[in-house]
Amino acid sequence: MADDKRSSLSGLTEHEAREFHRIFVVSFLVFTAIAVVAHILVWQWRPWL
Amino acid sequence: MWRIWMLFDPRRALVALFVFLFVLALVIHFILLSTDRFNWLKPHPATAAVTAVLPATVGSGSK
Repeated sequence: MADDKRSSLSGLTEHEAREFHRIFVVSFLVFTAIAVVAHILVWQWRPWL
Repeated sequence: MWRIWMLFDPRRALVALFVFLFVLALVIHFILLSTDRFNWLKPHPATAAVTAVLPATVGSGSK
């Protein structure tokens, strides 16, 4: 009870969770941007609808 | 939203996510390779130009 910051289920502290989340969101956005570009290129090559 | 990492272990979540995305990508690529139109290794000339043919066949087929 005294060390509340270490009582999460994953073992991460609040600060660690925020830090990981920031990296995760940026990585997700980069991945999505690459996927969007890839889909645009494929659509120009051969549209599927 | 960041509180999700207080519940789920990031290491396991990342491994699961990467495995899922890799398998999904593999399945999608093999499905595309199995088609004539979207096979980029052995393109089919007839099905590649199906968008140019489609309006004409729809128009002529109506009457």
